[in-house]
Order: sequence, then structure tokens, then C-alpha cells
Amino acid sequence: MPLFSKKGKSGGQPTRLFYACDIHGSEPTYRKFINSAKFYEVDALVFGGDLMGKLLIPIVRDAGGTWRARLHGQDHHLKGPEELAEFHKTLETLGFYWQEMEPDEYREYEGNQGRIDTLFDVLAKQRLKEWVALAEERLADTRVRVYLCGGNDDTDEVLTALDDAQDRVVNAEDRVVELDDEHTLATVGYSTPTPWETPRERTDEELVGIVEKVVARVPDPSRCVFNFHCPPLDSGLDTCLQLDASVWPPKPIMRNNQPVYYGAGSQAVADALMTYQPTVGLHGHIHESRGLANFGRTKAFNPGSEYGEGVLRGLIVAIRGGELVGHQFTSG
Amino acid sequence: MSEVVAPQVFTRRASGLVRVMSPYSAFIYNILTMGIIFPWTYVWAPTALQGSNLVLGIVFAFVFELPIALAYVWLATALPRSGGDYVFQSRVFGGGFGFTVVFAFFVVWILQWVALSGWLLASLGIAPTFLGLGVTTGIDAFTEIGTWAAGATGIVIISIANALIALVLLVTGFRNYVRFQYVMWYAILLSFGIVLLLFLTTNPGEAQGQLGAFATAIDPGVSGFFASAREAAVAAGVDFNPPFWLIGTLLVAPIAWTSLQWATYSSEQGGEIKNANVFRNQAFIMVGSLVVTAGLLVLLALAMQNGIGREGILVASSGYWYALPEATIGGNIMFPNLMAMAFTSSPIIVALIGLGFILNSFQIVCNCYIGTTRIMVAQGLDGLLPDWFSRVNPKWKTPLNAHVAYLIAAIPVILLFNDRFPGLNVPDWSTKWALGVTFANGAVMTLSALAAALLPYRAKKLYEASPGAKYTWGGMPTVTVVGALGFLFGSLMVGAFLFREELGLAATSNLFPYYVVAGTAVVGVIVYFVMRSVRASKGLKVEYAFAEIPPE
Repeated sequence: MPLFSKKGKSGGQPTRLFYACDIHGSEPTYRKFINSAKFYEVDALVFGGDLMGKLLIPIVRDAGGTWRARLHGQDHHLKGPEELAEFHKTLETLGFYWQEMEPDEYREYEGNQGRIDTLFDVLAKQRLKEWVALAEERLADTRVRVYLCGGNDDTDEVLTALDDAQDRVVNAEDRVVELDDEHTLATVGYSTPTPWETPRERTDEELVGIVEKVVARVPDPSRCVFNFHCPPLDSGLDTCLQLDASVWPPKPIMRNNQPVYYGAGSQAVADALMTYQPTVGLHGHIHESRGLANFGRTKAFNPGSEYGEGVLRGLIVAIRGGELVGHQFTSG
Repeated sequence: MSEVVAPQVFTRRASGLVRVMSPYSAFIYNILTMGIIFPWTYVWAPTALQGSNLVLGIVFAFVFELPIALAYVWLATALPRSGGDYVFQSRVFGGGFGFTVVFAFFVVWILQWVALSGWLLASLGIAPTFLGLGVTTGIDAFTEIGTWAAGATGIVIISIANALIALVLLVTGFRNYVRFQYVMWYAILLSFGIVLLLFLTTNPGEAQGQLGAFATAIDPGVSGFFASAREAAVAAGVDFNPPFWLIGTLLVAPIAWTSLQWATYSSEQGGEIKNANVFRNQAFIMVGSLVVTAGLLVLLALAMQNGIGREGILVASSGYWYALPEATIGGNIMFPNLMAMAFTSSPIIVALIGLGFILNSFQIVCNCYIGTTRIMVAQGLDGLLPDWFSRVNPKWKTPLNAHVAYLIAAIPVILLFNDRFPGLNVPDWSTKWALGVTFANGAVMTLSALAAALLPYRAKKLYEASPGAKYTWGGMPTVTVVGALGFLFGSLMVGAFLFREELGLAATSNLFPYYVVAGTAVVGVIVYFVMRSVRASKGLKVEYAFAEIPPE
């Protein structure tokens, strides 16, 4: 073996990267993601989209320096700074945002979805900026880079926080970037339509165009890692409950008293994997569909997500000379 | 004065919120899994534990299982997506422990359940049904089928066919099984209800005559069936008026645990039960199904006492525990459903009883595949079994490889279980140590209860984020209290299997059962270390599948 061997090149050391996705605003899960570089001894961290949290908890001031909030269908009366701090921590784990407000302020938001959505963007962008800064700080003395991007659940406004990336953080959103001396990373954060009309959904026909546009910039697809948030259709990486979106919130479709499952992925992604045969396909979006699928010589993975329980599900992959030399699912 | 505001949560449209699903289907699945048809409490306990009270024994089993089920409620809500003992134990004790215990005492030992399912299907389902149809219709061919199905060759062929049909049903799409489960549920309830009714509408005097007539109809050479059976039982050592034995009654619990321990099996499918992190959902699924099943088992015991009396129960049991041919009918043990068929002259009633028992027996082998293939897939994804096990068939979207591997592994076990393996003599597996699987599976559940007790200390962050963290008792996490109790009761029952002759393992004439117990554990350890080495040679550490990353 050469004394100095380039990372990722045939005959050299494999490049080890750690992939995770769908953490939806969960602070401890993100911190684990950043710490995973050292823990798993990897060369790069790749995030596969869906950074934004789903709920915003208003914490309303009450008499006597106390606060009131509602969580998981239960009313909480927080009686002091300690209880408030504990409540914040619970919300952080769950990936929720919060805003302390006076009763009058709360009433102004109540029923005003436009104002609520703006507040969501403000808080989510603030948290993402903090995350980018944390990653820059924690990885400053390392050679590890972290590649961040959005998923279908993230708004374009919030994703502008990724522009704060300086040195260790790479804004991979809709880009083709270098991973190591031999491999590139191509990222597409959109998904096929969902029952929730998320901000970054596209039809499969539109996804074909988006994928083609990104892959056109890849010098050698066989030495490229496809970081496509939406999993390939009917691959086993995209299996989820089929929902009746005509009601709100959507409800599971039942047959013979059992829920119906189906593949919610993208044919465009499946075709891209088969056509271009990248080094590996990394996907997320469907939290409960952890697994791997084969597309010719390319393996595609979905590590799943358990962010709500504070567990970081992920995947270590080792790549070298356009080949996947090893993988390990993780649950940290 | 400030106005108290009760704030609501602000959501985005893109919240991912889904309307809560009823946990009813998981509740049904659990009851089906717990096998209200399992006969051992009624045919094993009475003569193996003379003086025991069956009803009280079932109640004890419920009491002992309750903290275990509660412990699982905490575990399943803390890890709603992962599901299963493998993940629960790996998170708390480490991957090597979790893998070894679950691989050895679930995945490997549940192969015996595949064999048992075939045995139940043949001996409890097909044989009594066809014997009953033979008697009620007068068609000899039915009687011949029933007699064949109860013999060793019939049991082996039916068992292999059972395993094969289940595999085809499950791998060609889980939705096919789902449709079938729906039918099974109502058929079994109807069947069980009819059996109860038949016992409740007869009395011991009448029943003895009906059983005698039934036996004679099947074998005209038999006369005075009940008196002869009773005489043979006395000669074998059965005391028909034994004093109440408390220890014996407590020992009924491990036998009844063969049914009730499966209250927690839905946790293996954690990721497929939506809103599985909702505490009351899991409590309904696990504790609710436990209460219902225990209640049904008690009802059957009471109905049998009404219908055939303690004398009848002891005679029936002597055909099983003492293997008395005089106390069998056409070579068949006097299972509750067979006796119930003797109390009716209607072939339709016989068919309805038989259908439920046949379907529940078949459902058991489906459960074997469903639970163990999910475990094998998870272990394959984690790198502790070869990737081959976790591959999903592209056409059917099911883990075909894991299913096929399980079928292949089950065939020699079916042969061994029925003492038909060429060159090996294992005479007692289907009788004296049929409940070895309860011991092994019970060991897994007992250790998961311990994992629950230690969860707040060994996986602190995970526990604190879980819905159950808010419950404390005397300053201690409630999960620690119920988990510790569950571990204690489970250990007592597991220990009873190892050391009490009445429960079978210790009753055999050789050490073969203990070799199997030790051997499966050793196999688990070996597989773990081999896979760990294979992964290490590729620069990967299997420990990463479970090791928690510090967030700070």
C-alpha cells in the first residue's frame, strides 16, 4: 500500500461517510449527528433532508410567574424557571419549536395561519443557523465536512440559513459537490406529493427534470453518491400507510380492519438509480422504511428515523474507486 | 388580574399529523397469538400437578404476566418504531447480549412453535374434526382421516404442509394474510363460544355417557369407555380426590403462561402500529388482550368443571400426561374441543368447532414467520446476520429469503419434535417437554422485563423522552417497579421449567433437553462473534448498530 494514499481512490483507503436524515428539528438528534463524526470515525457527514420541526408550542405567561402550554394533548402548568427549562428540553428532543408569549400576543396568533407560518419560518431558520454554527465550531479542528440539505418538509426561506456555511459545512442543496478525491455528491431534496402539501413536493414528471438537471453536472455518475431525499418507488424503502387525504388530518385507509400500506417513493429516482448506477443511493423521507434495495450494481439505503425518541438512526458507508465496500446501519 | 389562557399547539399544514388509528387490529392479533385454543393447561396440569386448582392457576399466570406486559408497554412506547425484544435488550444490555438471547431463545426456539403449530393443527384441529364428522355423519372415511391425522406420520406431513402453505401466504403479500386474519378472528371466537356452550349445557353424568358413545362410534370394540379410562388412570397413579396443593396451583401458571406470555408479541411489529408511542394504545393492545385471554381461559376451565367435573378433567389429562391409551378416543387425547364434539350430534356444529381450532393452529405458524423474519431482517440490517436475510423480494416486497430459511430450518425440527428424525431418538419432545419453548421464549420476555426496569438508568435520554417517563411510584420510575416484578415472576416461572419434573424438561430420562437449551445459547454466541469478525474485516463495527452517541 502506498505511504500516502488518497481517500476514496482505488487501492487507497475507503472514504467513510455517515448518513442520516429526517431529524425534523430535534436538537439532541442533531447534536448526535455532529458528534457522530468522531464517534464513528468517519470522513464526512451527509444529511439527507427534512431539518425543520413540525410543531410550534406557544408557552403563554400566566399569573405568578408561571406558564401554560399544551403538549401531546395534555395541559402543562409550568411553575418556575426549572420546570420551564425542562419543558424546553422535552420540546427540543421532539423537534418542536416554542415561543414564550403574553396572552394578548397568543390571541393575535390564534387562528391566523399566515402569522403562524411566518413565526415557524423565523424560529426554524434561527435554529438551523445555530446548527450550522455548531457544526462549524465542533468540526473546526477536523478534516470532516458536513453536507447539509433540505427535504420536502423544509421551506426555501428556512434553507437560506445554509448560506451561513463557511468551512466545515457544505450547503449541498440542489448541487453537485466533491466528497473526496474521486467521488461527488449529488443532492435532490424534493419528494413526490404527500397528503400534507409540504413546501417542496413535485410530481414525478417534474422530478425527472430535476434529477436530470442535477446528474448532468456530475462528471462521472458511477463515482457519485446520490443523496436523493425521496426513495425509489416500490423499493421497500418507501413503504408507508396509505392515507385518505380528503379529511384533515389525513386518516389511514383501512381494509379488513387493517391499514393499507403502499410505496410512496419516486419512479424518477428509481429510474435514475438504474440508469446511472451511482456508487450508492442514500434516501430518507419515509421514517419507518429502514432497509436496503438493489438497483443493478447500486445499493440504495434508507436508514429510517426515530428522531422523536432522541435516537439517531443512520448509516455508515465506505466507498472506494466507485465501489461500495461496506455498510453498517446504526442506531445512536 | 391575568386571564388564564389554555394555549393550543400551532401546526403547519406540513405537520405530518395523522388521525389516530384504532389499535384494535393489534389487539386482535395478540389474542390470536395467545392461542385460546392451547390445550396444555387443561390436559397437562391436572394430572401432572394433582391437587392444583386450574382456575386459580390461570389467575396466577395472569398476575405473574401482568407486570411483564406493563413493562413492555413502557418499552414499546419508548421505542415505538424499532419494536421488539432484540432492540429493547440491545439498547439496554448491549448488542451482543440482545442478539444472542433473541437469536437463540426466540428465532431458533420458535422453530419448535412451527412444529407445535403443525402438531396442534393435526391433533387439535384436523383429527378431532374428522373424527367428529365421522361420528355425526356415519361416513367412515372421515373417521379414517381423523385417525391418520393423529398418528405420527399424519402429524409430520400436516406440519410440513402447514409451514409451506403459511410461507406461500405470507411471502406473496402480507395483505393476503391480513384478509385471512380477519376471517380467523371471528371463526375462532365462534368456535370457542360453541365449545363453552356445550360444556355449560351438559353435566358430568351425561357427559360420561356421551363420551362413551362417541368412543364406541369411532371404535366399535370399545365399551364402558369412561369406566375403563378411569380405572387405568387410577392404576397409573391418579388420585381422584387429592387435597388442594398450593405449590401445584402456582405451577399451573408456567403452563398457562404458554398462552398468556404472548400478550407482548405485538411489540415485534412496533413500526407497523401507528401511534404505537401512545401509552393507552399499547396498554389496550397488551394488557387488554391479556385480560381478555385470561378471562376466556378461566371461562373454559369453569365450563369444563361444570360439564365433565373434576373427574372428567383428570381422566382426560391422564391420556396426555400418563399417555394412557385407555384414556384416548381413536388414539386422540381428550382435548376440550374433542370432548365438546362428543356432546353434539350435529355435523355443522362439529365443523364450526373444528374450523376455529384449525384456523387458530394455522395462525400460530403464521405468527412464527411474522415475528422471527422481522427479527432476522433487523439483525441482517444491523450486520449480525448475513445481508441475505434482510433482502426484500422486489416482486412481493416481503423478506422472502428469511421466510425460506426459516422453513428449511423448521423441517428437521418437525421431524425431531415428532421423533421421526432418522438416526436420532427423541421420544418426549412432543409430550413431556413440549413446553420447552415456553421456557425459552419466556426467558427472552423475562430479560426484556429486566431491560425495562433498567431503562431509566441504562438508556437515560431515551427513557426521559418517552411518554412513560412521567409515571413514578414512591420516587422510583414506575417502569423500574413493574419491570423488576416482571423479572422476578418471569424468573420463577423459567426456573420452574428447568427444575420441576411436573413441567417436563426435568422429567425426561436423558439430558437432551438441557443440551438443546445450552446448545442454542452457544450457537447464538458463536454467530455473534463470527459476524462481528466478518464485519471488522471490512472496517465496520457491529457495535455501532446499538451504541448511543452522546449528544453533548
